[in-house]
Amino acid sequence: MISKVLVANRGEVALRVIRACREIGIRSVAVYSTADMDSLHRLLADEAICIGPPQAAGSYLNIPAVISAAELSGADAIHPGYGFLAENARFAEICEACNIKFLGPASSVIACMGDKATARRVAAAADVPITPGSDGPCRSSAEVRRIGAEVGYPLVIKASAGGGGKGMRVVHAEDEVEAAYVSASREAGAAFGDGSLYAERYMEELRHIEVQIVADGRGRMAIFPERDCSIQRRYQKLVEETPAPELPEEAREGMKTAAAALVGSLGYEGAGTIEFVYSGGEFYFIEMNTRLQVEHPVTEMVTDVDLVAEQIAVASGEGLSVAGNVPSRGHAMEFRINAEDPRRNFLPQTGPVEFYNPPGGPGVRVDSHLYAGFKVTPYYDSLLAKLIVHARTREAALRRGARALDEFAVAGLETTLPLHLAILEDEDFRRGGVPTTFLAERELKSDGRGLLRLSTAGRSSPPS
Amino acid sequence: MNEGETLPEPEKGALPLEDVDRLVELLAESGVGEIRIRRGELEITVKAKSEAPAGSPVEPPAALAASQTATPRTEAVQEPDLAEHPVERNGSQHVVRSPVVGTFYRAPAPGEEPYVEVGDRVGAGQTLCIVEAMKLMNEIPADASGEVVEVLVENAKGVEYDQPLFRIRPEG
Repeated sequence: MISKVLVANRGEVALRVIRACREIGIRSVAVYSTADMDSLHRLLADEAICIGPPQAAGSYLNIPAVISAAELSGADAIHPGYGFLAENARFAEICEACNIKFLGPASSVIACMGDKATARRVAAAADVPITPGSDGPCRSSAEVRRIGAEVGYPLVIKASAGGGGKGMRVVHAEDEVEAAYVSASREAGAAFGDGSLYAERYMEELRHIEVQIVADGRGRMAIFPERDCSIQRRYQKLVEETPAPELPEEAREGMKTAAAALVGSLGYEGAGTIEFVYSGGEFYFIEMNTRLQVEHPVTEMVTDVDLVAEQIAVASGEGLSVAGNVPSRGHAMEFRINAEDPRRNFLPQTGPVEFYNPPGGPGVRVDSHLYAGFKVTPYYDSLLAKLIVHARTREAALRRGARALDEFAVAGLETTLPLHLAILEDEDFRRGGVPTTFLAERELKSDGRGLLRLSTAGRSSPPS
Repeated sequence: MNEGETLPEPEKGALPLEDVDRLVELLAESGVGEIRIRRGELEITVKAKSEAPAGSPVEPPAALAASQTATPRTEAVQEPDLAEHPVERNGSQHVVRSPVVGTFYRAPAPGEEPYVEVGDRVGAGQTLCIVEAMKLMNEIPADASGEVVEVLVENAKGVEYDQPLFRIRPEG
């Protein structure tokens, strides 16, 4: 029975975990850097410990500091949130060694699925379709060329140790491989401390569809409706929705069955997401994230399940409150509001939030650590808030999203709010089922009234 | 006043700054309110600035003490408000802060003498204490040389990153 959870994270996800703890009735411990002295997660937790300087390496990524804080506070469990140490197998192992329950799967599973090349092998072994490509890492550019000869070009070279577009290169012909391999490996090494790469067929037009599961480590699992996360900018998700629009039922069932098979083969405990690409009517396993994801709220809205509470219940030995295919009701969408200026090439923003008024009303949820007066610092990622809307149909969700985004007031720094409004007005987005090239193929323009609009090449902006 | 200390004869009309410095030191060390010296036509008076009552210890942050009463409101009390910290009242003191989260120990091992006591003179780089984190004994050095004026944390108590550990009056 878990009685005190240390949240090894910050910002809105730390708040999310603390909120779940309060509802369950267990104590929460926040850790914070000196830059986060005035952070909401510090103020709302039952206890808080300053663990280091602003730089994440000295604080949120500092394993001895986090463990030390857990020992001092007597926390019997650690929730790693997402990012930072959430998929750090060594951290999970140290928690295990220190008798602190890591809220997630076993460290060996994290290590295995965290290496994307290995994860492909594991998926293949569970009869999950994988993108044609290398079996494990490519130890040389020659190996990549061999894969290219086998599956054809274009190929994509990817980092085994991480994602987000780092260490990723598309090669269209054999003579591009050498340079791409070297540069991708260097970038991956710098970003993840591991330069190993794998290669797979590159699909020009694909949709990113993922399946959320929670498993209790004893054979029971819950499979949630799929999420579509195809609206991305430079491989960072911006808008997510559930269920995926314009998706044939066969593909939906196929992905959920594949996800369940993979998770079943791992003896998995905790929450996890299996990511697929859907292209040309086929789906292929890409990777598995062995943690809670940023976009988890859309799933919570359509299923009425508290995923963080499920994580804690599973770790406590209490088991899941739902199992099998979890039914969903209505449609939900999430908009990531970042501290970036879409009018100036997404220039990162810092400084005090002078005015903050999030939207409200039916079917509106805002997960954010912002408040008027809070100072946004440059040390961490730019996510300020997640706006999630839920409605009976996708059309209604689009209307609700536009209404809520319009109402959302943040002054003192620029945000991506106007970008989301522009996305919601796009014809193709409204129709649903756009591929991941959606944003890249469009230009952001200010119309006569200073509002942002998306326009595709060859398509003129709507009259102002 | 240090008996037997003699000051050199001042040059006529000169103000011997080193002597004044020494008088100020003596004043602080002895705790008297005023020292007046007259030699010939020269009279020097050194008076102590009136300070807030001494001896009020800095309260260690309550963050690490689990609350005894289960209150629905949070009790996230952490770092002492800097404005109330004695450093503000006496700007000539230096605060050594913990560079790690862990448990504070005054001695190298149980049963041994503490590294430092109040009144000890320490050099920059000299070990003042240990903060233990995950079984690693981190020796914490003084980052200024001077006299240890106050030990701010009890032995074997938990400390946060940046938590004040010692007050040192810097010298030299």
